[in-house]
Amino acid sequence: MTRLNLVLLVAVLASAFYLVHLQYESRRLYVALERAKTASERLAADHEQLVVQKRAQATPSRVQQLAVRQLQMRPANPAITEYVALPAVAGADGAVSGRVQSVQGPAVQAGGQQP
Amino acid sequence: MSRSIAYSSSPLLTSATPVWRSKLIVAGLALAFLGLAGRAAYVQVFGNEFFQRQGEVRFARTLELPANRGRVLDRNGLILATSVVAQSVWAIPEDIDLNHPKLPEMAKLLELPVAELKRRLNTDKSFVWVRRQVDEPIALKVKALDIKGVYLRKEYKRQYPEGEAAAHVVGFTNVEDVGQEGVELIFNQQLSGKAGSRRVIKDRLGRVIEDVREVVPPVDGQDLQLSIDSKIQFFAFQKLREAVEQHKAKAGSVVVIDVQTGEVLALANYPTYNPNRRENLSGEQLRNRALTDTFEPGSTMKPITVAMAMEAGRINPQTIIDTSPGRYAMGGFTITDTHNYGVLTVEGVIQKSSNVGALKIAQKMSPQEMWDTFTALGYGQKPRIEFPGAVPGRVRPWKSWRPVEQATMSYGYGLSASLFQMVHSYTAFAHDGSIIQPTMLKNSEAAVGRKVFSAETAAAVRKMLQMAAGPGGTGQKAQTVGYSVGGKSGTARKQMGKGYAANKYRSWFTGMAPIDKPRIVVGVMVDEPSNGQYYGGLVAAPVFSETVQQALRILGVQPDMNVKPQIVAETVEESI
Repeated sequence: MTRLNLVLLVAVLASAFYLVHLQYESRRLYVALERAKTASERLAADHEQLVVQKRAQATPSRVQQLAVRQLQMRPANPAITEYVALPAVAGADGAVSGRVQSVQGPAVQAGGQQP
Repeated sequence: MSRSIAYSSSPLLTSATPVWRSKLIVAGLALAFLGLAGRAAYVQVFGNEFFQRQGEVRFARTLELPANRGRVLDRNGLILATSVVAQSVWAIPEDIDLNHPKLPEMAKLLELPVAELKRRLNTDKSFVWVRRQVDEPIALKVKALDIKGVYLRKEYKRQYPEGEAAAHVVGFTNVEDVGQEGVELIFNQQLSGKAGSRRVIKDRLGRVIEDVREVVPPVDGQDLQLSIDSKIQFFAFQKLREAVEQHKAKAGSVVVIDVQTGEVLALANYPTYNPNRRENLSGEQLRNRALTDTFEPGSTMKPITVAMAMEAGRINPQTIIDTSPGRYAMGGFTITDTHNYGVLTVEGVIQKSSNVGALKIAQKMSPQEMWDTFTALGYGQKPRIEFPGAVPGRVRPWKSWRPVEQATMSYGYGLSASLFQMVHSYTAFAHDGSIIQPTMLKNSEAAVGRKVFSAETAAAVRKMLQMAAGPGGTGQKAQTVGYSVGGKSGTARKQMGKGYAANKYRSWFTGMAPIDKPRIVVGVMVDEPSNGQYYGGLVAAPVFSETVQQALRILGVQPDMNVKPQIVAETVEESI
């Protein structure tokens, strides 16, 4: 009888300690999860911020300004555009094989300003 | 004699203790236990709710989970508006030492004068915003100063990467992230989303340690994809701005509508504002003129007059109209042309933009017929577009028209419309006689029109518009490389008080391209050009030309006209 009681006492104690341990563990994991969530939110916010910044750097107004000032480019128009047929269609015409057309920049400039 | 003391026993212990004393103690202890048991029962059973609540009040907190406001995107998915996290600096004034050595540094970081900062902090309130929505790096620096009583709070700030080019379309939100203008206002509900909440227990350091009940997740606002193409929008805006500046004009607007789907590809006004920096804005900058300002459209109305007369079978494109001597007296007014054009065909009336010709055509119509067509084309009615502040313009009921008014309406005076209405009505010519429903939202389905003219009439008017923009026409500067265009210029005197101002004009150009199978309708309006030139064909048409050029290229429309290529391309034999 005494032995049984002892066994049961040990069992109760073990279960109680395990419960405390589990509670602790769950809190710990919860806090870790919380932290991870906060970090993910912060990263998402950073990401959004970076996307916006990237977009702000790539707005047509900025791109055009840089293209005109730094690269001396100008808007394309049909007069300086070569329209190429899709390969399947062009292949049927037999027009593209073995030939490469190069467009020369300086010669285009001599062609005159865009109207 | 010695007295012996027995150390093994004590007289005290041998004294008989009265039994009642021990019983008293036992009873006392029992009572105490009873008391504890009673208290325990009270706490655990009877008063349980109260204690639970009190406990929760001390540790449980409801946290709001803010919903992200949806983004506004252009038709290609590029961001026009989005919310980013911005920290707001707030303070508890009574905790702050106004002579703190780091206050000037904080003032500098927040771009506030020190005196202003101290004025804000020197108050009886228990909470003040020091500065709202500062950039993250600055907020971190403020935090690093570690001034007692100064705190940060996470808020959202709207960013508009496209800036002033799309300002009128996108609009803006206030500091609480509520839409105030433009698309942000009209679609506020859809963009807003719904905040969620969670109930948590916090420890003494304020860390969340447990959820008390299920989390109500926030519902983020929906993204909104507009029909606007940010490239076309920018080009249109840029050309408009250049024209307004070049002609020293007061203002201008441009509208581009895709005829196939009814989508508004661009809608820009100048002057405008930068939605990211909204200090000292004036109404002039804020107004979305293309939709909110109505004017007499002038000659841009003539094609409509001609179309309705053709539709009614009163004229055909070759009908001869005698406009000589370039003047026409009627009801005490004299209506004049800039030159005496003599005998013109109907096509010639449009090409030369003859007022006398237009009024003679209108005389073949009844007021009611004209009114019906104007109404069918959307004049005098608020455009059905997802946009705040659109105005209906003015077309008076036909019964009250005097003959001279009917005549002046034929060339665009005596009725008013916004640029948007003007462009919208021209979709009837571009879409084979059916007027289409415009939309600000991306829509890939083909627009279904409402029939106003027959396809033949529409085609005939398009031909006239092409002539008007061609050699001998008033809108030659509307021509553009590679694409056939057609359109009508307009130059309207501005109304001042009861009469018309002598030297204040409004220049219009509305047209379409490519003319045989139009893809876009573009309208341009420049208000009070005052640098010598004021004709619509000289001021507004160039903006039209360049906008059409870029828009069609961006839309991938192949040129329909032969272009003398300026490309020097040589054939190179490639080794095999």
